[in-house]
Amino acid sequence: MGSIRFDKVDKVFGPLTGGVKALDSIDLEIAEKEFVAIVGPSGCGKTTCLRMVAGFEAPSAGVVSVNGKKVTAPGPDRAVVFQQFALFPWKTVRENIDLGLRNKGLAKSERDERIASALRLMNLESHADAFPHQLSGGMQQRVAIARAYVLDPEVLLMDEPFGALDAQTRVVMQEELVRLARVNPRTVLFITHAVEEAVYLADRVAVMTRRPGRIKEILDIRSVREAENWDRHQKIEDVMDLESFVHLRTQIWKSLREEKGPLGV
Amino acid sequence: MRDTPLSFAERIGWGALGLAVLLGTWTLLTASGLVPRPFLPTPLDVLDRMIELMSAPFAGATLPQHLASSFERYAYGVLLAALIGVPLGLLMGWFRWLDDIVTPLFDGLRFIAPIAWVPFAALWFGTGIGGPVLIIFAGAFPPCLINAYRGARFVEPRLIEAARMLGTGNLRIILEILLPAATPSIVAGLRVAAGLGWQSLVGAELIVAAAGVGFMMVQAQANVATPTVMAGMVAIGIVGMVIDVALRQGEAWLRRRRGLEA
Amino acid sequence: MMGRKGLASLTSVAAALLLWFVVTTLTGLVSPGRFPSPAEFWQSLVQIATRGYAGAPLLAHAVQSLKLVLLGFAVAVATGVPLGLWMGWSRRAEAAINPVFLLIRPIPPLAWIPLAILWLGLGDAAKIMVIWFAAFVPSVINAFAGVRAIDRPMIEAARMLGTPRWRLVREVIAPAASPMIFTGLRLSLQASWTTLVAAELVGALLGIGFVLNVAQQDIYPGMILVGMVTVGLLGWATTWLLAMAEQRALAWNMAARD
Ligand SMILES: Nc1ncnc2c1ncn2[C@@H]1O[C@H](COP(=O)(O)OP(=O)(O)OP(=O)(O)O)[C@@H](O)[C@H]1O
Ligand SMILES: [Mg+2]
Repeated sequence: MGSIRFDKVDKVFGPLTGGVKALDSIDLEIAEKEFVAIVGPSGCGKTTCLRMVAGFEAPSAGVVSVNGKKVTAPGPDRAVVFQQFALFPWKTVRENIDLGLRNKGLAKSERDERIASALRLMNLESHADAFPHQLSGGMQQRVAIARAYVLDPEVLLMDEPFGALDAQTRVVMQEELVRLARVNPRTVLFITHAVEEAVYLADRVAVMTRRPGRIKEILDIRSVREAENWDRHQKIEDVMDLESFVHLRTQIWKSLREEKGPLGV
Repeated sequence: MRDTPLSFAERIGWGALGLAVLLGTWTLLTASGLVPRPFLPTPLDVLDRMIELMSAPFAGATLPQHLASSFERYAYGVLLAALIGVPLGLLMGWFRWLDDIVTPLFDGLRFIAPIAWVPFAALWFGTGIGGPVLIIFAGAFPPCLINAYRGARFVEPRLIEAARMLGTGNLRIILEILLPAATPSIVAGLRVAAGLGWQSLVGAELIVAAAGVGFMMVQAQANVATPTVMAGMVAIGIVGMVIDVALRQGEAWLRRRRGLEA
Repeated sequence: MMGRKGLASLTSVAAALLLWFVVTTLTGLVSPGRFPSPAEFWQSLVQIATRGYAGAPLLAHAVQSLKLVLLGFAVAVATGVPLGLWMGWSRRAEAAINPVFLLIRPIPPLAWIPLAILWLGLGDAAKIMVIWFAAFVPSVINAFAGVRAIDRPMIEAARMLGTPRWRLVREVIAPAASPMIFTGLRLSLQASWTTLVAAELVGALLGIGFVLNVAQQDIYPGMILVGMVTVGLLGWATTWLLAMAEQRALAWNMAARD
């Protein structure tokens, strides 16, 4: 359960007023329990891709489907971690995490259990009753992740989820995410600017072109990881030192570099 | 936000529907006799009466004459509020001691509804022009004062430091830095003041006037002349709207002149 | 405990009271026919509080006015806020209702008083109707603006979590719009008092506005001042209560500010 498919998807914003073509004929298949990362220049349409899977945005042409069914509306089977957190400021951390569980109609005891484990996982136990404004950006980001995780969704959509974290927390979260992905694999669409992050986390990395965004190439990381047995290393820095890792990273870097604008930005 | 923005045609369509429901219900209720006419006249009755009042006097004057005397009081009241409120607000924004003196008194008076000044207004200035002007003043003064004060108080401190560094005196700082910097806030305050002043005018005329649209309406109420009451409401609404549109235009013009987008 | 500001306020108010005493009592600069002296004010207060004035003691007048304001305000808020939320949520509702608003809004609430009296007489109903009209508009407009200002991702997050419609309104839309809603409530409350006083001045048999009306006809400055002070105090007290409610309801927002 949880395969995603983009079939010749175009997206034009504001078609009535001239229109900006954000995505151009995106074709991408993400298998069940596969972890795919998208990298690409800023404004190339990464967020737009993710929003279409989430059901917030409809394609202008083509079809986005999940489990072979066309996406028409948002739903808790596809949990989203937003680029801007989107926590409810009037709810405490616990209440933020609880909302999705309540919507599922779960019993109080089960909800409490799940919340407790999500809080533990994200290292938020001491802040369960704080309001989002009382937390640092990194903590808010962790709440947003916990809120999605706790639903145990088939598909997890993450839009630069570690963007606001400091370097140390980021590393911890990355290692944690890898551990989770191995223990309890699920379908993940993960957007990031950080090439290392993409290579470290993903089974496959899709590189996008500048706007209008197209899929430029897709690299298979998983076969290399398994062949070279990256998982024997616990720490991210040990993996990042491996020659096979560096090789892949450089390859993606070069690909992205070709996509920089005329001023190199 | 919920659904996508409507197209122009859809907006017009829904708007027309809304108005049609309002006017339709009104007409239906009255024309069918479900609600007796002396109680609620039809829209056409009101229109007829307005046209009639253009030339036929009621309560001593025609509608335009009533409007003219209303407007005169209104202009005096608002002008007075602006002439006292804006400078006082600017000075309070600059001189801390003045702020300390005026703010507690102002806060104390703020909770007295402007209309509660009616008895004193009548006692001190009579029911001609003075009484109503005081009440309009009471309504229009607070936004003039508050907005000038806020505008001056929250001026970018660096501007003032720069002026200080150049050896600028108090008066010059107020006139050449605080006033221009506070202008957007002051203008917004004047618009609010104009609206509240118009409100207070109506209240004042209902109670302490011997002429004006409000006076005409109370007289009509006493004579159970419902169409005249409603004609007065329409006239007040139209003039109020014209004032607001004019001030909005003025504000936009000012913004353009200062080079802050239209 | 009391800072420089508190001290300045106290001094300022004390000076104003002293000035009042000087101009009315010590020098007679202002004649008692124009403005009461402190002593006259006190006598008027004692008179209305104990023996009554304009047909009833002060407490009865105050309770009557307070009752009407709270009733009118409650009706206005209970109808205005949901309407504003709905207009903010649905573009269609906005498109249909806005023109009606544009038509009715320029008419100041006070201008409805004669019509209300014609329709409902001099009793409570007419006053509640006018207060409702006056307090309705700020409630609608601010609730509307509050919904329109909600961050889109906030709504999307709620929908992604599968939040059902009614829960969405109660737990997401309304709280997100609540700072603006409270701004509207403050304006509505203010409008309620203004309107009530005006309506009672035009015609009533009980209430603070009626006291003012009778005192004006009796040319009784001491009682006029008593009436004004009572209106001010009642207005202040209700505003304070609303501010307390706001502070409780928006605790999460306050945390954001400091
Ligand atoms: N609602 C919208 N209306 C109009 N244009 C939009 C809208 N949303 C996105 N765009 C445009 O579509 C393009 C792609 O946007 P998107 O947010 O998907 O980029 P992104 O790859 O996520 O960028 P970043 O890395 O900066 O987050 C951008 O040029 C953006 O300006
Ligand atoms: Mg993005």
